[in-house]
Amino acid sequence: MKRRKVLFIHLSNIRLLVKKFAIVILFISAFAMMLINKTDTVIIEKTSSVATDVVSPLIDVLVIPARLLASVYDYVHELKKIREDNALLRDENKKLVMMTGKARALEIENKLLSGLLNYTPPPEATFVTARVIAEEGNAFSHSLIAYTAGNPNVKKGQVVLSENGVIGRIEQVGQMYSKIILITDINSKIPVVVERTRARGILSGDNTSIPKLVFVPLDAKLAIGDRVVTSGVAGVFPPGLPVGKIISVDKNDIKVKVLGNLDRVEYVRIVDYNIIDDSENSQDTSLMIEAKADE
Amino acid sequence: MSEEFQESLIAYIQKFLPFVTSALWVLFSYIPLDSAVANNLRPDMGLMCVFFWTLHRPDVFNLFSVYFLGLVVDIITAAPFGSNVFSFLVMYLLVSNLAAYFNAKPFVVTWYGFSLFCLVTMLARWLLVSVYYSKFLPLPLLMFSVFATIAFYPVIGLVNAFVQNSLMKDEG
Repeated sequence: MKRRKVLFIHLSNIRLLVKKFAIVILFISAFAMMLINKTDTVIIEKTSSVATDVVSPLIDVLVIPARLLASVYDYVHELKKIREDNALLRDENKKLVMMTGKARALEIENKLLSGLLNYTPPPEATFVTARVIAEEGNAFSHSLIAYTAGNPNVKKGQVVLSENGVIGRIEQVGQMYSKIILITDINSKIPVVVERTRARGILSGDNTSIPKLVFVPLDAKLAIGDRVVTSGVAGVFPPGLPVGKIISVDKNDIKVKVLGNLDRVEYVRIVDYNIIDDSENSQDTSLMIEAKADE
Repeated sequence: MSEEFQESLIAYIQKFLPFVTSALWVLFSYIPLDSAVANNLRPDMGLMCVFFWTLHRPDVFNLFSVYFLGLVVDIITAAPFGSNVFSFLVMYLLVSNLAAYFNAKPFVVTWYGFSLFCLVTMLARWLLVSVYYSKFLPLPLLMFSVFATIAFYPVIGLVNAFVQNSLMKDEG
């Protein structure tokens, strides 16, 4: 009887102790997770992508009634605007017809000149269109979750475009769903170039809706309205993709409005420019060359 | 199916109802909305649920429910993994230690309490994540989120109260 009592006291003591320190342990585990995440280990990334695949279908189900309501609202709202839109589209169509002629002439000229220069064209891009099922934007992060249906062409680091330009890159690839980091997120840093002056810089997200242009040469002449496109430096993003327009130029604060509408992203295009694979291949090739030289 | 088994199954479901309701609210809050304001000023549903259930049903919404709810949010968001768990634990700590002050008080008092706790929790998380990135995150955006969360609390409170009163047994 005495032994039982002692055991009982011991168990209850342990239970009390655990209860008392549980919150401390859980706080420590939260800090530990953040630290592991900071050191960029694959453990968190892999666990998170598996977990995203588990959680995302639930959001996908909840999206259906929300989308239905939104589409009804949009339908009623757009009926009012239909006449104005029609006139605008007619004007735009006239301009586009004229531009198509010019573009065709330029295309032929480009082909001829490329042939003369023996120019090697970049690899052709392939793309996957994905539906956005979750969106996040606050002071802590800006991201999307898209349904990629386990497409094997979707890889980490690929460019994500909306109809107007670059909006982000693939951060996590799961079995069915992928996480996209938006260019407004604090983790987003894109090498860009100002189209008019060819001044290079880095478009850095800061969790606001207007990212900043940093590391721009001091003598760079920038003006409000200048278009910013990807520079292709670092080999992650291909050059020339439209990103945004400069909306303010202060001494140390150049702000860029993103061209892609981040607030109405229903579908995204995940583009594979074969850049990541090519860089890996070129690394392999350079390693092979070095090995041969050693031999 | 015996009656005993049915009863124990219902009791089991009721035990998980606060967590399931909270998880649904959290998932619901990440649905894409076609509006710039709505997409940047989403209320923190998780924080509201942690406050409500810890205050009203600590018997079925315990520390581990808070922790797992934080994990669910961390999985969805791109914020540093663990930061949502941290903020939910801070909220739990505040509510579980100061719950006595809200006993038998009108809703407005609870709402004021939530407003204060929400501000403290969000600022704590803001500080932690700012240290993580070695850069201050945009404070105005955070304040808008705090206001949106506070403004939305009565709605969440009302629905959660309905779940508690009509679908769950009384405490004890």
